[in-house]
Amino acid sequence: MAPLGMFRHLAKAAVAFTVAVSAATGAAQAQEPNFGPPELIEAARKEGRMVFYTAGFTEVEQEVIAAFNKRFPFVKVEMVRASGGQLITRIKTEAAAGKLIADVIDHSDRGLMLEMADLFQDYAPPNAADYLPDSHPSPKIWPRITLGWVIAYNDALVKDPPKTWMDLTKPEYGNAQIGQVIAPSGGTTWTRTMFERQVLGEDYWQKQAATKPRLYPSGAPLADALVRGEVTIAPSLYNIVYSKKRDGAPIGIVFPPEGIPVNPYADAIPKTAANPNAAKLFLNWCLSEEGQAFMIKQFGNLTSLKKPPILPEGFDPKVAKVWLPEFSQYEKLRNTWVEDWNKIYGYRQ
Amino acid sequence: MSAEVTALSAPQTRTRPGVNWRKAGSWLWSGTLLLILAFLVIYPIAVLLLGALTNANPVVEGFRGFDLSITNFTDVLANPNVHLALANSLLVCAGGTAVAVLIGLTFSWVVVRTDTPWKGLIAATSMLPLFVPPLVAGVAWAILASPKTGLINTFMAAMGLSWRIDVYSMTGMIIVFGMYYAPYIYMFTASALRNMDPALEEAAEISGAGSLRTLMTVTFPLIAPAILSGTLLSFVVMLGIYGIPAVLGTPGNIPVLTTYIFKLTAWSPPLYATAAAVSVLLMVVTGALVWLQQWLLSGRSYTTVAGKAFRPRSLRLGPWRFLTLGLALLYLLVVVVLPTLALVVAAFRKFLFIRDLPALFDGRQYGLQHFERLFANPLALRSIANTMEVGLITAVIGGVLAFALGYTIHRTTVVGRRALDIISTLPVAIPGLVIGVAYLWAWIGLPGGLYGTIWILALAFIARFLPDTIKALSTSMLQIHRELEEASWICGRGLLGTLRSIVLPLARPGVIAAMTLLFILAIRELGSSLFLYTSQTMVMAVLLLDYYEGGNLGITAAFSLVQTVLLGVLISLAHLASRSAAAPADVGIGRAG
Repeated sequence: MAPLGMFRHLAKAAVAFTVAVSAATGAAQAQEPNFGPPELIEAARKEGRMVFYTAGFTEVEQEVIAAFNKRFPFVKVEMVRASGGQLITRIKTEAAAGKLIADVIDHSDRGLMLEMADLFQDYAPPNAADYLPDSHPSPKIWPRITLGWVIAYNDALVKDPPKTWMDLTKPEYGNAQIGQVIAPSGGTTWTRTMFERQVLGEDYWQKQAATKPRLYPSGAPLADALVRGEVTIAPSLYNIVYSKKRDGAPIGIVFPPEGIPVNPYADAIPKTAANPNAAKLFLNWCLSEEGQAFMIKQFGNLTSLKKPPILPEGFDPKVAKVWLPEFSQYEKLRNTWVEDWNKIYGYRQ
Repeated sequence: MSAEVTALSAPQTRTRPGVNWRKAGSWLWSGTLLLILAFLVIYPIAVLLLGALTNANPVVEGFRGFDLSITNFTDVLANPNVHLALANSLLVCAGGTAVAVLIGLTFSWVVVRTDTPWKGLIAATSMLPLFVPPLVAGVAWAILASPKTGLINTFMAAMGLSWRIDVYSMTGMIIVFGMYYAPYIYMFTASALRNMDPALEEAAEISGAGSLRTLMTVTFPLIAPAILSGTLLSFVVMLGIYGIPAVLGTPGNIPVLTTYIFKLTAWSPPLYATAAAVSVLLMVVTGALVWLQQWLLSGRSYTTVAGKAFRPRSLRLGPWRFLTLGLALLYLLVVVVLPTLALVVAAFRKFLFIRDLPALFDGRQYGLQHFERLFANPLALRSIANTMEVGLITAVIGGVLAFALGYTIHRTTVVGRRALDIISTLPVAIPGLVIGVAYLWAWIGLPGGLYGTIWILALAFIARFLPDTIKALSTSMLQIHRELEEASWICGRGLLGTLRSIVLPLARPGVIAAMTLLFILAIRELGSSLFLYTSQTMVMAVLLLDYYEGGNLGITAAFSLVQTVLLGVLISLAHLASRSAAAPADVGIGRAG
């Protein structure tokens, strides 16, 4: 069980997020955006390129790069994409050999990034003070992306969709109708499973696993299976299902009232970056209100800004409370709880 | 180099002054090849073993402070989930190989030894599945035959049938594996059947044996090395395949070793030491199979191409030839037409939600959106160019190296050839995902800026597919009787002259086939690319996986189609080129001999 102090911390974080989201007016602020001093922009222009290592999705990041290039067409962003574990291995090996090519590293797992904090240079965006302190574990690491979990369903096949996380334990949704991403898939899913046990109850996993959900290695193939009707209901990252729904896929989305577990990504600039100015400019733009608003509107991301520039479509902060894990617990509980999850869900490890 | 190569020539047939010179040359030649193999194979495998024996990343931790222990191995061996994955792997691959042998051998016999009509089409069809990357094959069959939403099942539902196909099952994986790896058996056996002197079969028939008995007691036993080589190769290649079990085995909760290893590398944090230990287990299984093959073939002669003229024989099937043609057309439909249609539907359809049959034919659901998005991504075109470049480099350099190794191992008596044989076989046993990390660990520190270039990918592919290429070449070499080379030596030709005028022309179809195989394998290779590509050297297989992992089946299918068409065009061109190149050589082999 989580100690009382931790719950206080969690409650504080959740309140901070809720307040932040509630304060949003839905309109971007009128003042001129600040992407850094003119010298930085000029130096970035001279560098002309940068290498971006990401654990995000290729298609999404290509759109982010295109939007950045609308503002700053003179920086060519070259992307290397890999899944979480593979990206970490590559970064550590390259760094040890003195051949780290990346100018910006973007990863879903704050814990693993914090372990490598020595590799990163000091960096803070111009609007650093606007970010929730709990959203980044080190002053060198920043949450370019913040993703939240919702319940998605195939609205062509499900006539009576679940409304809450607890509904996912009901026998009527059994028989492999529900798809689940496995807990060891990475930091984002670990955040959701931690939320389930800490907020929904110590026995939530047992009850949910009793519906015999179909397990998937990551969120994207699960969302695809949902669209095709292979499964009909799935806890899903809002940004994955939002873009499909926007494009016309038969998807319904529910923001469960018990809470929206969110995972801020971790972004940093290595000390060895060959194009540090272009890297800073890219992160400054991504972390700016303009960049965050673009990602919220285009992909259904959330944000770790204290005052969100806009709200994601369908998200009502009065109904849906955002839940951010307490970082030390996120680190400490992970191995044993993921092992418990694997046993309960019969996931072979 | 010519000096030492000349020194190898005909060591047993000519005794002249300068024997020591030749001996030195022979040592130098073996030494050079061993050095190349040490760099390409031994060093990365040693790094991999080191990784399995520690929990350290050899590059990060350096060579100090290693705490060697066999804990990873004991843990892996005691883990019931590894036992399950191993048992599933062996079952799927054994079943898949059996299906592949049945299909491959049937069609090679139909094409080479019968008068079935449209043999050119059948020959092409038999090779087509080889162009399809395993991930694409898996995706296509998931679209066709997933139990809930598969197109075939939708058709059956529309026809009022209650029976459903479930490709997310052990049987489903076995059949898909068998269909897509039949070309390995076909390649080996068709070339052996073509090069076989039919006099032996004629003798059997004159002695009163029927066609079937001749086939079973003379023809197939005579091409046993080809059947065994193809069987072994397809089995071990299946053992290392990730794409098909990832797409078809995961939803059915059927783990195999490769999907298990991939999970270990993809989890956050990754468990590479465990993955390396599981890979060593895979190496042991494969090593045992290679040994078995060599034991079975040892001490027997399978020489069938000698210096005597012959004509390939064609069995008159009468009306039965329409049955063989029907079988070939059915195979074409199942292996080529249906999966391609599935990919076409997925690539042009906005979403792959197909409620019923009329929904499949709703024209409003189709468009070019996935192709537009694909080509709006600058990485797509770059990955195509990079893939072609790396494929070509791999095919040419890998082909030459494999020929040098194959010839040295099978046709010379130089010292160390046994060691060369064993070392060059090792990479077949290691799954690409793990050897990819080993290459990264082994080569990233090399001076000269190899990392980040297309060359590091090509080197990895050359090393990884060395066993496949040598096996493909050695089958054709084993069949060339030594008397032809001896005749050349007696006539005063040196080794290079003999190679140029006798061995190369005879083995040319085999060399070109091996290079083509290498090109295809390089283009499809995913595992070892994952860790070695950079933003400038992105290849198609990696981008395809990115799209698949991104959950967009439409764009994945669109890119798969592009890749398949591109490969088809290139292979057809290569085939045309090799046919025109090989034509004079064919005359020289059996007919004019």
